[in-house]
Amino acid sequence: MTDVHHGEQESQLAATAEGGKYVYCIIRSDRQRDFGAIGIGGGQKVFTVAYRDLAAVVSDTPIVIYDPTRENVLAHEFVNETVMREHTVIPMSFGTVFRSEEDVSELLRSTYQAFSDVLAKMQDKIEFGLKVLWDREKVVANMERENDEIRRLKDEISRHTSSSTYFARMQLGRLIDSALEEMSMRYVSDIHDALKPVAVASRSNKPIGDRMIVNAAFLVDRAQETAFDERVKETSRKYEDLLTFKYSGPWPPYNFVNIKLKLEKAD
Amino acid sequence: MGLLTKVLFFPITGPVAGIRWSLNKVVQVAEEELTDDTPVKQELMELQMKLELGDIDDAEYIERERALMLRLREVRAWREKLGKASPGGPVRVARESADVATEE
Repeated sequence: MTDVHHGEQESQLAATAEGGKYVYCIIRSDRQRDFGAIGIGGGQKVFTVAYRDLAAVVSDTPIVIYDPTRENVLAHEFVNETVMREHTVIPMSFGTVFRSEEDVSELLRSTYQAFSDVLAKMQDKIEFGLKVLWDREKVVANMERENDEIRRLKDEISRHTSSSTYFARMQLGRLIDSALEEMSMRYVSDIHDALKPVAVASRSNKPIGDRMIVNAAFLVDRAQETAFDERVKETSRKYEDLLTFKYSGPWPPYNFVNIKLKLEKAD
Repeated sequence: MGLLTKVLFFPITGPVAGIRWSLNKVVQVAEEELTDDTPVKQELMELQMKLELGDIDDAEYIERERALMLRLREVRAWREKLGKASPGGPVRVARESADVATEE
Protein backbone atom coordinates (compact mmCIF):
# COMPACT_ATOMS: atom_id res chain seq x y z
CA MET A 1 0.00 0.00 0.00
CA THR A 2 2.89 2.30 0.64
CA ASP A 3 3.70 1.74 -3.01
CA VAL A 4 1.29 4.52 -3.78
CA HIS A 5 3.55 6.98 -2.01
CA HIS A 6 6.58 5.73 -3.77
CA GLY A 7 4.86 6.00 -7.10
CA GLU A 8 3.93 9.61 -6.46
CA GLN A 9 7.31 10.47 -5.10
CA GLU A 10 9.08 8.94 -8.01
CA SER A 11 7.01 10.79 -10.56
CA GLN A 12 7.79 14.01 -8.70
CA LEU A 13 11.47 13.36 -8.86
CA ALA A 14 11.59 12.16 -12.43
CA ALA A 15 11.64 15.78 -13.48
CA THR A 16 14.53 16.76 -11.20
CA ALA A 17 18.18 15.92 -11.10
CA GLU A 18 19.86 13.53 -8.68
CA GLY A 19 22.69 14.55 -6.38
CA GLY A 20 20.66 15.79 -3.42
CA LYS A 21 21.74 15.06 0.13
CA TYR A 22 19.41 14.14 2.94
CA VAL A 23 20.93 15.31 6.24
CA TYR A 24 20.25 13.29 9.41
CA CYS A 25 22.49 14.89 11.98
CA ILE A 26 25.72 16.73 12.73
CA ILE A 27 28.56 15.03 14.61
CA ARG A 28 32.15 15.68 15.54
CA SER A 29 34.43 13.51 13.44
CA ASP A 30 37.71 14.13 11.70
CA ARG A 31 37.57 11.18 9.37
CA GLN A 32 35.28 9.92 6.66
CA ARG A 33 32.62 7.58 8.06
CA ASP A 34 30.37 5.01 6.46
CA PHE A 35 27.33 3.87 8.43
CA GLY A 36 26.04 1.32 5.93
CA ALA A 37 23.07 1.07 3.60
CA ILE A 38 20.40 2.23 6.06
CA GLY A 39 19.32 5.58 4.60
CA ILE A 40 15.88 6.94 3.82
CA GLY A 41 14.27 5.98 0.52
CA GLY A 42 15.12 2.27 0.54
CA GLY A 43 18.54 1.66 2.09
CA GLN A 44 20.73 4.41 0.68
CA LYS A 45 24.36 4.45 1.77
CA VAL A 46 24.84 6.69 4.80
CA PHE A 47 28.15 8.58 4.93
CA THR A 48 29.64 11.85 6.12
CA VAL A 49 30.35 15.22 4.55
CA ALA A 50 33.12 16.87 6.54
CA TYR A 51 34.16 20.42 7.31
CA ARG A 52 37.13 20.74 9.67
CA ASP A 53 36.29 18.55 12.69
CA LEU A 54 32.55 18.56 12.03
CA ALA A 55 30.64 16.22 9.80
CA ALA A 56 27.12 15.99 8.47
CA VAL A 57 25.69 12.48 8.30
CA VAL A 58 23.95 12.23 4.92
CA SER A 59 22.65 9.93 2.23
CA ASP A 60 22.02 10.51 -1.46
CA THR A 61 18.51 11.51 -2.34
CA PRO A 62 16.53 12.84 -5.24
CA ILE A 63 15.24 16.36 -4.66
CA VAL A 64 11.87 15.55 -3.13
CA ILE A 65 9.68 16.50 -0.22
CA TYR A 66 9.52 13.50 2.10
CA ASP A 67 6.13 12.80 3.60
CA PRO A 68 6.39 12.16 7.33
CA THR A 69 5.05 8.62 6.98
CA ARG A 70 5.90 6.14 9.68
CA GLU A 71 8.20 4.35 7.27
CA ASN A 72 10.15 7.51 6.45
CA VAL A 73 10.30 8.76 10.01
CA LEU A 74 11.54 5.39 11.22
CA ALA A 75 14.28 5.41 8.59
CA HIS A 76 15.37 8.89 9.74
CA GLU A 77 15.30 7.72 13.36
CA PHE A 78 17.15 4.51 12.70
CA VAL A 79 20.09 6.33 11.15
CA ASN A 80 20.29 8.70 14.12
CA GLU A 81 20.12 5.80 16.56
CA THR A 82 22.93 4.04 14.74
CA VAL A 83 25.16 7.11 14.66
CA MET A 84 24.38 7.83 18.31
CA ARG A 85 25.98 4.60 19.43
CA GLU A 86 29.39 6.12 18.74
CA HIS A 87 28.79 9.86 18.58
CA THR A 88 27.13 12.79 20.23
CA VAL A 89 24.67 14.02 17.62
CA ILE A 90 22.80 17.19 16.82
CA PRO A 91 19.69 15.87 15.06
CA MET A 92 18.33 17.66 12.01
CA SER A 93 14.60 17.93 11.66
CA PHE A 94 12.92 15.33 9.50
CA GLY A 95 12.97 15.89 5.75
CA THR A 96 15.95 18.25 5.43
CA VAL A 97 17.27 17.94 1.89
CA PHE A 98 20.13 19.89 0.33
CA ARG A 99 20.75 20.14 -3.38
CA SER A 100 24.40 19.18 -3.29
CA GLU A 101 27.37 18.22 -1.16
CA GLU A 102 28.66 21.79 -1.51
CA ASP A 103 25.47 23.12 0.03
CA VAL A 104 25.96 20.78 2.99
CA SER A 105 29.57 21.96 3.44
CA GLU A 106 28.30 25.50 3.33
CA LEU A 107 25.89 24.69 6.13
CA LEU A 108 28.74 23.33 8.28
CA ARG A 109 31.00 26.26 7.45
CA SER A 110 28.46 28.97 8.16
CA THR A 111 27.11 27.38 11.34
CA TYR A 112 30.43 25.99 12.57
CA GLN A 113 30.54 27.87 15.85
CA ALA A 114 26.96 27.16 16.89
CA PHE A 115 27.29 23.49 16.04
CA SER A 116 30.56 23.23 17.98
CA ASP A 117 29.08 24.91 21.04
CA VAL A 118 25.99 22.72 21.09
CA LEU A 119 28.02 19.55 20.49
CA ALA A 120 30.15 20.44 23.51
CA LYS A 121 27.03 21.07 25.58
CA MET A 122 25.38 17.83 24.49
CA GLN A 123 28.51 15.75 24.94
CA ASP A 124 27.47 12.34 26.33
CA LYS A 125 23.89 13.34 26.84
CA ILE A 126 20.87 11.47 25.58
CA GLU A 127 17.16 12.05 25.55
CA PHE A 128 14.39 9.87 26.93
CA GLY A 129 10.72 10.28 26.22
CA LEU A 130 8.08 9.61 28.81
CA LYS A 131 4.39 9.50 28.12
CA VAL A 132 1.99 8.67 30.90
CA LEU A 133 -1.60 7.72 30.23
CA TRP A 134 -4.36 7.13 32.64
CA ASP A 135 -7.47 5.09 32.63
CA ARG A 136 -10.10 7.67 33.51
CA GLU A 137 -12.63 5.06 34.51
CA LYS A 138 -10.29 3.47 37.01
CA VAL A 139 -9.22 6.77 38.46
CA VAL A 140 -12.84 7.79 38.89
CA ALA A 141 -13.68 4.46 40.56
CA ASN A 142 -10.74 4.99 42.85
CA MET A 143 -11.94 8.47 43.66
CA GLU A 144 -15.39 7.24 44.56
CA ARG A 145 -13.89 5.02 47.19
CA GLU A 146 -11.87 7.81 48.72
CA ASN A 147 -13.99 10.91 48.30
CA ASP A 148 -16.98 11.00 50.67
CA GLU A 149 -18.76 13.82 48.86
CA ILE A 150 -18.64 11.98 45.55
CA ARG A 151 -19.90 8.80 47.15
CA ARG A 152 -22.74 10.64 48.84
CA LEU A 153 -23.89 12.22 45.55
CA LYS A 154 -23.66 8.89 43.78
CA ASP A 155 -25.80 7.26 46.41
CA GLU A 156 -28.34 10.02 46.18
CA ILE A 157 -28.55 9.66 42.43
CA SER A 158 -28.97 5.93 42.55
CA ARG A 159 -31.71 6.14 45.21
CA HIS A 160 -33.87 8.54 43.25
CA THR A 161 -35.09 8.46 39.73
CA SER A 162 -34.74 10.66 36.67
CA SER A 163 -35.46 14.39 36.92
CA SER A 164 -35.12 14.91 40.65
CA THR A 165 -31.42 14.04 40.44
CA TYR A 166 -30.59 16.58 37.74
CA PHE A 167 -28.70 18.93 40.04
CA ALA A 168 -27.02 16.15 41.91
CA ARG A 169 -25.77 14.78 38.60
CA MET A 170 -24.48 18.15 37.51
CA GLN A 171 -22.78 18.66 40.83
CA LEU A 172 -21.26 15.21 40.63
CA GLY A 173 -19.92 15.85 37.14
CA ARG A 174 -18.30 19.07 38.22
CA LEU A 175 -16.89 17.50 41.35
CA ILE A 176 -15.36 14.64 39.39
CA ASP A 177 -13.87 16.97 36.80
CA SER A 178 -12.13 19.14 39.33
CA ALA A 179 -10.98 16.11 41.33
CA LEU A 180 -9.54 14.61 38.14
CA GLU A 181 -7.76 17.83 37.31
CA GLU A 182 -6.27 17.94 40.78
CA MET A 183 -5.32 14.27 40.61
CA SER A 184 -3.60 14.68 37.26
CA MET A 185 -1.62 17.64 38.52
CA ARG A 186 -0.54 15.65 41.54
CA TYR A 187 0.60 12.69 39.45
CA VAL A 188 2.46 14.93 37.02
CA SER A 189 4.39 16.78 39.68
CA ASP A 190 5.08 13.56 41.57
CA ILE A 191 6.54 11.92 38.45
CA HIS A 192 8.61 14.98 37.63
CA ASP A 193 9.92 15.19 41.17
CA ALA A 194 11.00 11.56 41.04
CA LEU A 195 12.89 11.93 37.76
CA LYS A 196 14.38 15.42 37.95
CA PRO A 197 17.25 14.49 40.30
CA VAL A 198 18.59 11.97 37.76
CA ALA A 199 18.12 14.17 34.68
CA VAL A 200 20.06 17.16 33.42
CA ALA A 201 16.98 18.90 32.08
CA SER A 202 13.37 18.18 31.27
CA ARG A 203 10.73 19.54 29.01
CA SER A 204 6.96 19.13 29.01
CA ASN A 205 5.17 18.86 25.71
CA LYS A 206 1.48 19.05 25.01
CA PRO A 207 -0.24 15.73 25.78
CA ILE A 208 -1.52 13.80 22.75
CA GLY A 209 -5.12 12.63 22.87
CA ASP A 210 -7.36 12.70 25.92
CA ARG A 211 -5.86 9.85 27.93
CA MET A 212 -2.38 11.32 28.26
CA ILE A 213 -1.40 13.32 31.31
CA VAL A 214 2.37 13.48 30.79
CA ASN A 215 4.28 13.99 27.55
CA ALA A 216 7.78 14.86 28.63
CA ALA A 217 11.35 14.63 27.41
CA PHE A 218 14.33 14.25 29.71
CA LEU A 219 17.94 15.00 28.96
CA VAL A 220 20.09 12.46 30.75
CA ASP A 221 23.81 12.05 31.17
CA ARG A 222 24.99 8.73 29.74
CA ALA A 223 26.57 7.96 33.13
CA GLN A 224 23.14 8.35 34.73
CA GLU A 225 21.29 6.20 32.22
CA THR A 226 20.86 3.21 34.54
CA ALA A 227 19.83 5.40 37.45
CA PHE A 228 17.24 7.14 35.31
CA ASP A 229 15.99 3.84 34.02
CA GLU A 230 15.60 2.47 37.52
CA ARG A 231 13.77 5.54 38.68
CA VAL A 232 11.28 5.33 35.81
CA LYS A 233 10.57 1.69 36.58
CA GLU A 234 10.17 2.43 40.28
CA THR A 235 7.72 5.20 39.59
CA SER A 236 5.72 3.16 37.13
CA ARG A 237 5.47 0.33 39.67
CA LYS A 238 4.14 2.78 42.21
CA TYR A 239 1.23 3.65 39.93
CA GLU A 240 0.90 0.24 38.33
CA ASP A 241 -2.86 0.01 38.67
CA LEU A 242 -3.76 3.50 37.55
CA LEU A 243 -1.24 4.76 35.03
CA THR A 244 0.40 3.40 31.92
CA PHE A 245 3.99 4.49 31.36
CA LYS A 246 5.34 4.68 27.82
CA TYR A 247 9.04 5.10 28.06
CA SER A 248 11.29 5.43 25.02
CA GLY A 249 14.87 6.15 24.13
CA PRO A 250 17.66 6.85 24.05
CA TRP A 251 16.96 9.51 21.45
CA PRO A 252 19.13 12.25 20.07
CA PRO A 253 18.43 15.43 22.05
CA TYR A 254 15.61 16.65 19.79
CA ASN A 255 13.90 18.56 22.56
CA PHE A 256 17.01 20.25 23.88
CA VAL A 257 18.78 21.50 20.80
CA ASN A 258 17.41 24.66 19.35
CA ILE A 259 19.58 26.03 16.59
CA LYS A 260 17.71 28.25 14.21
CA LEU A 261 19.32 27.60 10.87
CA LYS A 262 19.04 30.32 8.29
CA LEU A 263 17.87 28.20 5.42
CA GLU A 264 16.04 29.16 2.30
CA LYS A 265 14.32 27.24 -0.44
CA ALA A 266 16.67 26.06 -3.16
CA ASP A 267 14.49 25.75 -6.24
CA MET B 1 -36.52 63.55 8.72
CA GLY B 2 -33.31 62.99 10.55
CA LEU B 3 -34.63 59.84 12.04
CA LEU B 4 -35.97 58.69 8.70
CA THR B 5 -32.58 59.22 7.07
CA LYS B 6 -30.99 57.14 9.72
CA VAL B 7 -33.53 54.39 9.53
CA LEU B 8 -33.45 54.36 5.78
CA PHE B 9 -29.77 54.66 5.16
CA PHE B 10 -27.95 53.30 8.12
CA PRO B 11 -29.33 49.82 7.90
CA ILE B 12 -28.11 49.80 4.35
CA THR B 13 -24.61 51.20 4.71
CA GLY B 14 -24.14 49.39 7.97
CA PRO B 15 -24.70 45.82 6.88
CA VAL B 16 -23.07 46.31 3.48
CA ALA B 17 -19.86 47.50 5.08
CA GLY B 18 -20.27 44.71 7.58
CA ILE B 19 -20.62 42.09 4.90
CA ARG B 20 -17.55 43.25 3.07
CA TRP B 21 -15.59 43.23 6.28
CA SER B 22 -16.74 39.76 7.24
CA LEU B 23 -16.09 38.44 3.73
CA ASN B 24 -12.50 39.57 4.06
CA LYS B 25 -12.42 37.95 7.42
CA VAL B 26 -13.82 34.73 6.00
CA VAL B 27 -11.22 34.66 3.26
CA GLN B 28 -8.50 35.28 5.80
CA VAL B 29 -9.75 32.57 8.13
CA ALA B 30 -10.10 30.17 5.22
CA GLU B 31 -6.57 30.91 4.09
CA GLU B 32 -5.28 30.31 7.57
CA GLU B 33 -7.12 27.02 7.78
CA LEU B 34 -5.99 25.86 4.37
CA THR B 35 -2.36 26.61 5.12
CA ASP B 36 -2.16 25.39 8.68
CA ASP B 37 -0.66 21.92 9.03
CA THR B 38 -0.82 21.74 12.84
CA PRO B 39 -4.18 19.93 12.98
CA VAL B 40 -2.92 17.30 10.55
CA LYS B 41 0.28 16.84 12.50
CA GLN B 42 -1.71 16.61 15.71
CA GLU B 43 -3.88 13.90 14.19
CA LEU B 44 -0.82 12.09 12.95
CA MET B 45 0.62 12.02 16.46
CA GLU B 46 -2.68 10.79 17.88
CA LEU B 47 -2.79 8.09 15.22
CA GLN B 48 0.73 7.02 16.10
CA MET B 49 -0.24 6.86 19.76
CA LYS B 50 -3.24 4.68 18.96
CA LEU B 51 -1.03 2.27 17.05
CA GLU B 52 1.44 2.14 19.93
CA LEU B 53 -1.34 1.41 22.40
CA GLY B 54 -2.79 -1.27 20.18
CA ASP B 55 -6.09 0.57 19.70
CA ILE B 56 -5.72 0.19 15.94
CA ASP B 57 -3.84 -2.31 13.80
CA ASP B 58 -1.23 -1.78 11.13
CA ALA B 59 -3.66 -1.92 8.24
CA GLU B 60 -5.89 0.75 9.72
CA TYR B 61 -2.88 2.87 10.56
CA ILE B 62 -1.59 2.77 7.00
CA GLU B 63 -4.98 3.61 5.59
CA ARG B 64 -5.51 6.60 7.86
CA GLU B 65 -1.93 7.73 7.48
CA ARG B 66 -2.41 7.87 3.74
CA ALA B 67 -5.42 10.14 4.15
CA LEU B 68 -3.43 12.43 6.44
CA MET B 69 -0.52 12.57 4.00
CA LEU B 70 -2.90 13.67 1.27
CA ARG B 71 -4.17 16.46 3.49
CA LEU B 72 -0.62 17.45 4.29
CA ARG B 73 0.12 17.68 0.59
CA GLU B 74 -2.93 19.83 0.07
CA VAL B 75 -1.79 22.20 2.80
CA ARG B 76 1.62 22.35 1.15
CA ALA B 77 0.08 23.09 -2.22
CA TRP B 78 -2.02 25.90 -0.76
CA ARG B 79 0.97 27.39 1.01
CA GLU B 80 2.84 27.38 -2.24
CA LYS B 81 -0.07 28.92 -4.08
CA LEU B 82 -0.45 31.67 -1.51
CA GLY B 83 3.28 32.34 -1.40
CA LYS B 84 3.86 31.08 2.14
CA ALA B 85 7.01 29.21 3.07
CA SER B 86 6.50 25.52 3.70
CA PRO B 87 8.82 23.02 5.36
CA GLY B 88 10.40 20.22 3.36
CA GLY B 89 11.98 20.24 -0.05
CA PRO B 90 15.48 21.32 -0.95
CA VAL B 91 17.09 24.04 1.14
CA ARG B 92 20.38 25.89 1.25
CA VAL B 93 22.05 28.26 3.64
CA ALA B 94 20.40 31.62 3.22
CA ARG B 95 22.50 34.24 1.53
CA GLU B 96 23.28 37.41 3.48
CA SER B 97 20.73 39.47 1.62
CA ALA B 98 17.91 36.99 1.82
CA ASP B 99 15.49 37.58 4.63
CA VAL B 100 13.24 34.65 3.79
CA ALA B 101 14.29 32.04 6.27
CA THR B 102 12.59 28.83 7.24
CA GLU B 103 13.08 27.51 10.68
CA GLU B 104 15.62 24.68 11.08
